[in-house]
Amino acid sequence: MAENPASPAGGGGGGSHESGGEQSPQSGVREQDRFLPIANISRIMKKALPANGKIAKEAKDTVQECVSEFISFITSEASDKCQKEKRKTINGDDLLWAMATLGFEEYIDPLKVYLARYREGDTKGSARGGDGPAKRDSIGGVPGQNVQYALQGSMNYMNPQVTLFLKHTCRERHVHRNVWIFI
Amino acid sequence: MRQAGTYSGLLSGGISGRTGPHSLPLARIKKIMKRSGDDVKMISGEAPIVFSKACELFIEELTQRSWKMTMQGKRRTLQKEDVASAVMATDIFDFLIDLVSDSKDSMADHLGEVDTNMES
Repeated sequence: MAENPASPAGGGGGGSHESGGEQSPQSGVREQDRFLPIANISRIMKKALPANGKIAKEAKDTVQECVSEFISFITSEASDKCQKEKRKTINGDDLLWAMATLGFEEYIDPLKVYLARYREGDTKGSARGGDGPAKRDSIGGVPGQNVQYALQGSMNYMNPQVTLFLKHTCRERHVHRNVWIFI
Repeated sequence: MRQAGTYSGLLSGGISGRTGPHSLPLARIKKIMKRSGDDVKMISGEAPIVFSKACELFIEELTQRSWKMTMQGKRRTLQKEDVASAVMATDIFDFLIDLVSDSKDSMADHLGEVDTNMES
């Protein structure tokens, strides 16, 4: 990570991403090319708040911009890695590596579970990861229809086998957060 | 019997289009990835899927940290200033400082000390 000449981490992310510097709607690029839909963002935000919590529209807009910046930030780091290794295609593992490198280690375990479920459930061709077998133990034996349901369920933490794992992860994150609050 | 809860727009792409079980539209994620740099030409099929979940985690974390700021101010509505405060108080969100301080100039004055001191 230290050898990345173009690493966006250095200067606090300043200037590394064109998309970050030119967020004004007048920049000529359609909004739907730069941001994820505000309705989806809003829904995920609400899920993270207590029932009585409200969110100002401007706060949603800010988070919407932040998400695009997050995608660019991670993608740039993954892209640098691919270039160094002379590979042309950014894959899921490159992104996981980039996230771990840039401080988002806590996302890795939930993402691996999510990705493993996707690879198991997706039999229509786009599962090109190929390193599924190692993970098959934990979720093997689920019939096709259920796999898809489990994939849906993984968001709600409904699948029993995943629940254990995610609960563990969540607990760790809670502990981490509590520490963060009290320090 | 249809399971409206599971298969409704709440978990799929909603009105923005069918994106399967992912909560964010994959095509849009891919577009944003391509805008990240000229070197980003080829993206594997599963990369946007990783991001669909990663962005969800990111939004949740940013929202929860922002909400703590809202609570500290004894308010019930999360404002963009709360997002800015959360960004400045969190090391891994350093890459967002320019973005949030653009929208809140007064915070820029505090950038230096907050950036380094808040973690302790």
